[in-house]
Amino acid sequence: MEITPAIRDGIIVLSISGRIDTVTAPVLEEAINREIGSGHRKVLLDFSAVSYISSGGLRVLLATAKKLKAPGDRFGICSLSAEVLKILRLAGFTSIFSIYPSEGEARAGW
Amino acid sequence: MPAGNDPFASLLWQQVPGTDGASIYPLIRKIDTISSNSYLIATPDAILLIDPGGLPEQAEHLASVIGEIRQEQDRPVFVFLTHAHIDHFAGSQEVPAFAHPETVIFAAHESGAGILGRGDGGFTQADLLGLKVSPMKIGFPLLTADRSGRPGVPVDLRLANGAGVTVTNDRIAAGGVVLPRERIVFGPGTALEILHTPGHSPDSICLRVGGLLFTGDILFAANPGVAGMRGWDQEALICSLDGVLAVMSGGGVSYLCPGHGRVIPVKDAIQVLSGVRTDALALANIAELNRDRAVQAAAFAEDCMEQVNELFTIMAGRLSYVSYVMEELGEPDAAGQMESLINSDTIDELLNAFADFAEEHHQVRQVPIHLALKAAQVIRKLERSFRKDELSRIIDPTLVRRAGRLLSDYTTMMRGFNPPGVLSECDIIALVEALVTGLSVSACSDEEVFDSADDDAAFAQILLARIGTRPLLEDVAFSMEPMQGPLMASIDRDHFTDLLTYILEDLVGTGADHITITEQRDGRNIVLTVSGTAGLLLTAAERKTFRFLRGLCNRAGGSLEYTCDKEIRQFVISIGLA
Repeated sequence: MEITPAIRDGIIVLSISGRIDTVTAPVLEEAINREIGSGHRKVLLDFSAVSYISSGGLRVLLATAKKLKAPGDRFGICSLSAEVLKILRLAGFTSIFSIYPSEGEARAGW
Repeated sequence: MPAGNDPFASLLWQQVPGTDGASIYPLIRKIDTISSNSYLIATPDAILLIDPGGLPEQAEHLASVIGEIRQEQDRPVFVFLTHAHIDHFAGSQEVPAFAHPETVIFAAHESGAGILGRGDGGFTQADLLGLKVSPMKIGFPLLTADRSGRPGVPVDLRLANGAGVTVTNDRIAAGGVVLPRERIVFGPGTALEILHTPGHSPDSICLRVGGLLFTGDILFAANPGVAGMRGWDQEALICSLDGVLAVMSGGGVSYLCPGHGRVIPVKDAIQVLSGVRTDALALANIAELNRDRAVQAAAFAEDCMEQVNELFTIMAGRLSYVSYVMEELGEPDAAGQMESLINSDTIDELLNAFADFAEEHHQVRQVPIHLALKAAQVIRKLERSFRKDELSRIIDPTLVRRAGRLLSDYTTMMRGFNPPGVLSECDIIALVEALVTGLSVSACSDEEVFDSADDDAAFAQILLARIGTRPLLEDVAFSMEPMQGPLMASIDRDHFTDLLTYILEDLVGTGADHITITEQRDGRNIVLTVSGTAGLLLTAAERKTFRFLRGLCNRAGGSLEYTCDKEIRQFVISIGLA
């Protein structure tokens, strides 16, 4: 798994590629925490190159949602593959944070 | 000395209980299909190696240990095979030290000697494992027809290595069965006893030296992926198990030394073997596990694990979601309890291990049976990693049920029962309508929530279930043509219900916003078409998902076609009317 950070319009966009599994989920969590720790309160995860997410990965998403619920905070995921969207929808996660078809649509909404 | 709970340490010389001066050097491996354990026994009269194993490096190591003890005291060397499966002997075929019949004599049951003499790829399981086996001379056939015609008469044999042995053939009555036996005396020291225990294979034997009983693969003979191999025989296996159980209960045996895995104290071994007997009794009329079936099993393993992966991730995700909401509601205790219902970390690790194994399997073109057996191993562990009943009370019970059924289907198939479906007549219209209703309404009605308000425990349970279950069809536009019933079809109800649920879930999960079910009658068939607007396009997983659904539909008693374009995804299920 690779994580590429970029700041656009005051939003930290983390582009992730590869599998988010039992080994890589803690790496993702650490990367997100680092950004939140350095003051970024608008976090968008670009999942266009994520092929798989495990339950450990889902827990990282929930933990992030918990950290970013103050007024003005934003947390969302964009550009999901069908496989990953299916997992998030059926696990009930789409009611906790926002899912966007593309990064542009997420930024426009924020 | 032995470490931990293991009675015998691997790769160390230890005393053989119940003997005067015999010692044992066990080589104990983790259980796999590549190579067996090996046991090297030194008596004052001879060196006995039981199963040199499937790996050349293992046989090489044993040859070097044999070389060392022969330098201390030269004695004739015998290699006994518990049976002629390739993982028990192939390593020795590549090691020169084992290639000279004038120094090392191989011994195996007479029928195994025949199998090895002709290099039979079927009975040795070489074909199943995609390996080659060379013909091999067995200089000392055991339990021969010739000697069994003269029970109780000691026969002196002079073997090619110059050693003289005395063999006495007889039969012992044990546990209501009669086991052919041979007692082999190499000199004044410890003797060796051989019992014919067919079932796992026709040539399987157990060997007894003092208080140790070497049992080959009888412990695994009823396992999925082992039962049904060429030469497997249920009836013979049960008789052999009865005999071995009686021998172990009769006193004098302290430990069972299996062909794979750790040495087991006799008390535990009796319990394990009794379990094997129970499993074996259920295995009547199973299909032979040959290469074709291994290829099918491997394909099913991959499809099955893909779905298992998805189901377990969704179940664990749902629980995390419930836990999150409960914490938001100020119920941290209830939130914490969710984690104990499913062991997510273990499950993730198991699924990850299988994914890595499957990737490596495809890269190096390994043999199908290895993938099928790996899936069986992962599935056994997965079955212990979630608490079905309690989970079903909190999250969508169809998820839990389908996960359980998928694991059980795979195990059943690996046991040799194919297909694991039971067809019966049922009203298909009523079944579809009931399923769709179940997927459209909440698991707990508002009325139930109100009724539970005065009882804290009941309210907490209903609240959890309300959060944990969400009607699948809640957020999509769903329509179903009115259907005229009853319409009796011959199907497996459980698999049919699972099939329809998987299809609807797939459509909803991938973003369909409108789903329809239509019905048509076509002669003696009913054709159900489930269509959904195409959401996101599935990629590599789509082919595997369809293959899995088609297999599931076959197990349900029907056939499935699938079409997809930019706008509509369509699943067409055909089922024969009763």
